[in-house]
Amino acid sequence: MTTGSVLAFDLLAAIVAAAGWLGAGATAVAGRRRAATAVGAAALAATLARAATTILLARAGWWFAAEKVVIAGPLLLAAVLVAGPRLLRPAPVPFLFAGYALTAGLLVTVLHGYPVSAGAGLLAVAGVAGATAVTWRFLGSGPVPRTAVVVAVAALVAGTGAAATAGAVPGVPHAHQHRDVLPVGEPTQRFTLTAGTAVVPAGDRDVAAWAFNGQVPGPQLTATAGDVLEVTLRNRDIGRGVTLHWHGYDVPNSQDGVPGVTQDVVLPGQEFVYRFRADRAGTYWYHTHAASDVGVRMGLYGVLVIHPKPVIGVDVTVPVHTLAGVPLPEPVVQPVAAGDPVRLRLINTDDTTHRYALAGAPFRVAAIDGSDLRGPAPLSETAVLIPAGGRYDLAFAAPGTPVALYVDGRMAWSSGPVSAATGGWPVLDPLTYGTAEPLPWSRYDREFTLVLDRGVDLRGLLPRYAHTVNGAADPDIPSQVVRPGEIVELRIVNRSLVVHPWHLHGHHVLVLSRDGRPATGSPLWLDSFDVRPGEVWEVAFRADNPGMWANHCHNLPHADAGMTLHLIYA
Amino acid sequence: MRKAFVIVTGMLLAVFALQFVFAAVGAFTRPGGDGSYTLHSITGMAVIPGLCLLTIVCAVLARAPGRVLAMTVLPLGLVVLQALIAMLARAFTDASGASTTAGLVVGGLHAVNAIIVVHVVVGVLRAAQELAAPAPTVQVAQR
Ligand code: HEM
Ligand SMILES: [Cu+2]
Repeated sequence: MTTGSVLAFDLLAAIVAAAGWLGAGATAVAGRRRAATAVGAAALAATLARAATTILLARAGWWFAAEKVVIAGPLLLAAVLVAGPRLLRPAPVPFLFAGYALTAGLLVTVLHGYPVSAGAGLLAVAGVAGATAVTWRFLGSGPVPRTAVVVAVAALVAGTGAAATAGAVPGVPHAHQHRDVLPVGEPTQRFTLTAGTAVVPAGDRDVAAWAFNGQVPGPQLTATAGDVLEVTLRNRDIGRGVTLHWHGYDVPNSQDGVPGVTQDVVLPGQEFVYRFRADRAGTYWYHTHAASDVGVRMGLYGVLVIHPKPVIGVDVTVPVHTLAGVPLPEPVVQPVAAGDPVRLRLINTDDTTHRYALAGAPFRVAAIDGSDLRGPAPLSETAVLIPAGGRYDLAFAAPGTPVALYVDGRMAWSSGPVSAATGGWPVLDPLTYGTAEPLPWSRYDREFTLVLDRGVDLRGLLPRYAHTVNGAADPDIPSQVVRPGEIVELRIVNRSLVVHPWHLHGHHVLVLSRDGRPATGSPLWLDSFDVRPGEVWEVAFRADNPGMWANHCHNLPHADAGMTLHLIYA
Repeated sequence: MRKAFVIVTGMLLAVFALQFVFAAVGAFTRPGGDGSYTLHSITGMAVIPGLCLLTIVCAVLARAPGRVLAMTVLPLGLVVLQALIAMLARAFTDASGASTTAGLVVGGLHAVNAIIVVHVVVGVLRAAQELAAPAPTVQVAQR
């Protein structure tokens, strides 16, 4: 069982246990003793199941279990000790006490699990004691025990105090624009991208979109390694503003296109000129980073391909996107001559993972995220999962028979009629693909751990259920500070129930390990990688691109809901 | 205060009915997307829990008997459960985000639980009405 499914079962057990004890209490109130015993027994089983999942999670890593051991654990123990002995002689108050204790433990996990905080623990205790006192008042025999009231009030006061003082975290030093006036030379390729609202065809309908030059995706920008690109961005009528971020291409900081961090947002009527040297051949894409959640979804994205010197063979880009519920691109049929080398550049511009399967020919994964792989072996009948923002280049020699690319079971590109069922194919694990090479570093100068979760964020104007990093949400996540030249290790832990495609700007990270198992395949230099529920990724990079960089989840609604922080150079 | 208890419980029931409508709004929004369930989501996470709390306060102030009070607390618990079920259903998706059988089963519980809550709230409303205008026989029995 993966740690991700243990996390889900832990939540399930906690829900059933809490509901079970409350139900047993209610049944006892109604005077149905037999039924109360039966429901209580089920609740006890679920309670013990939660104890078991807690132990499993603690063994997978303290990040997953901290609050379950420190806060929910004692509450759970108290519940079992108080309610367990009354199973055969049901009484409302002990059962309801157990219900409150399990509910409090569950709410701590769901609302503010990591890091363990005194505030959350004290408020949980206050809730249990207060609810028990009220229950006693109405259902118990004799006066309410003083201790329950005192505990409730004291814990409430202390917990509120602790929660309030914990709020004082230094914010992000915003509008810190890094001016790197590196001479890049005379532009050899010039493009103009004008952002504006538009109506574009999608499937068999016309839909409202935000588009570059009136088309979705925007025009493909193609260059040859060594070119100096100059891209003029104009905003015609996108009220929330636009910018251009070169996803996966590590440009100097001032060209990175993050509004409020590397430049001002480009408002209607304004323009901004980006200029950078394109040395690294590979598959990249560009998109707006202003209001990026809606902006990218509505269509402000396009492909950037940098070819190595000579272009040989057939070169196809497949930028997958979901526009107004319609999957793009439209299926294309493109005959290729037998023996021709074909390169399919697969790009995922959506917020969630897509599954790609190439039927009809053995292929190699030549590159991931713009970096060539070392010694990729031929694959057949194998699917690849591309994270949000990620790119895979598939290379093969065209056989005499047709070949087809499926995305989530839908044909996206083919060289002729093919019918293949790809749903059951195994999925490639890039961490074991290709041939290894010794790590380029033997020591790490700095180490950061990012624990991804959900939690309530009360620091803004309105309370929200945020996507959090180390218990905080943007703009309250402390920035990571590095010095030029340092080798930085990043550990990313996902204790939530959803995938987080991680994306660090300005750098490619080398994958060291996943869940404690070292990567054994080709060196993987990634800019977008899926950290699934329960996974722990260790990656590293050299701090060689000074500036202030966004470091965020590329499921853009998550980024918008708090999962964004910054890396800054001291 | 007993009048207020009846009114607030009635409002709660009405919002629950609306919540079913908002679920349908989400299901029939074309094209479907992340935003389709916004109304359902806001009502389910803010409006309904708030009204549940208000109902409990009214019940306490109306000096409802223990059994009625317990019944009034129940919807709040079930609504929290409802949100957790929705979250859990989304957790059971495969690597590319498509739903799985386990997720659909858990998601089905969301609808079942919704029906249960509505029944409980109808019960609370009856009890509140009885409290506000006790039937003569009951009144005699209580004295
Ligand atoms: C009657 C009380 C109900 C309450 C309090 C309630 C509450 C909620 C809540 C809190 C969410 C989570 C929203 C989010 O995380 O953004 C949710 C999601 C959902 N509910 Fe309900 N719900 C109720 C009834 C129903 C019914 C009757 C249906 C349909 C039969 C339904 C269908 C859904 C669906 C499909 C979602 C997932 C939406 C999404 O993916 O964003 N709900 N509900
Ligand atoms: Cu995320």
